[in-house]
Amino acid sequence: MSTENLVKHLPNDIGGTGSSDDKIHIFERDLYPWEKRCHALLDVLDYHKIVNTEEKRRGTENIGSEMAGKLSYYEKWIVSASNLLLQKGVLTPDEIAVKTAEVAKRYNLVL
Amino acid sequence: MSENAHNPHTGRDGDNHPEGHDHAEEHEPIIHEAAPSYYEILEISIRELLTEKGILRPEEIRRQIEVLDSRSPALGAKMVVKAWLDPAYRSRLVQNGNAAAEEMGISIYDNTKLTVLENTPGVHHVIVCTLCSCYPRPILGLPPDWYKSKEYRSRTVREPRAVLAEFGTLIPEEVQVIVQDSTASERYMVLPLRPAGTENFNAEELEALVTRDTMIGVALPSISN
Repeated sequence: MSTENLVKHLPNDIGGTGSSDDKIHIFERDLYPWEKRCHALLDVLDYHKIVNTEEKRRGTENIGSEMAGKLSYYEKWIVSASNLLLQKGVLTPDEIAVKTAEVAKRYNLVL
Repeated sequence: MSENAHNPHTGRDGDNHPEGHDHAEEHEPIIHEAAPSYYEILEISIRELLTEKGILRPEEIRRQIEVLDSRSPALGAKMVVKAWLDPAYRSRLVQNGNAAAEEMGISIYDNTKLTVLENTPGVHHVIVCTLCSCYPRPILGLPPDWYKSKEYRSRTVREPRAVLAEFGTLIPEEVQVIVQDSTASERYMVLPLRPAGTENFNAEELEALVTRDTMIGVALPSISN
């Protein structure tokens, strides 16, 4: 048996602790403005070929089961984007630390 | 989905600087927005850093928000109704979803492949993205939260008829249900059956029947709604 099949059929890598049997929570809501900005930001990063859809998705999965279970959809997106931009050397941890502190200060918050 | 403890009225791109408001000087500074969450601060920070480095321009984000806002299920409904009324368009739509959308002036801005799944009296389709949230955004807008939920993603492939029943959609046993999983590059839309009793409806009346959920496949167009 050739090993080619193993390479061609990668395992599903969904994060978290498995599937769900729960009832679907059917409801409608509008996105918060920051969620829409986050969506647009990732789209633009895709257009610039900095972060593509598949990288972004993987980034939302490999954050460990606790975060995968507790963060909301766009919270995972922005964490994924932040990790990918660090890995790719586009941003540095120091730059993010300084900027987030500065942004928090505008709102009289301390991170 | 966790609750987000902030105000949905926080301004858009470039509009979230309280000091930018030019109010009378004798007031204490007025903070118009509730405190942003850690994740919103991260979003603002990354966007500003990328802008400062010249990697992105703020107008690109604004423009993309406009693109997102310009997309809704009304576009998909126009394609469905045109297919109902025009057999030649129907075959072009089923053959090449991208070309059929572009033909109606709807750009597939995310460079994905759009495949249209044609329901027949014997076959009903429903779409899902088991991996995450892939969805035909250019023609339907952004997906609802439930489409992205673990419950919908897990169960639709395992027990589609039970999932459809939760949406109030009962598919007769003799009708085959086909679940189509989406990917980062391959997106799908369901072309529902035109309901009986709509022979005298005009295009506008028909479009009103073609809701988002009928194009995801969790509902059927109905004149009784």
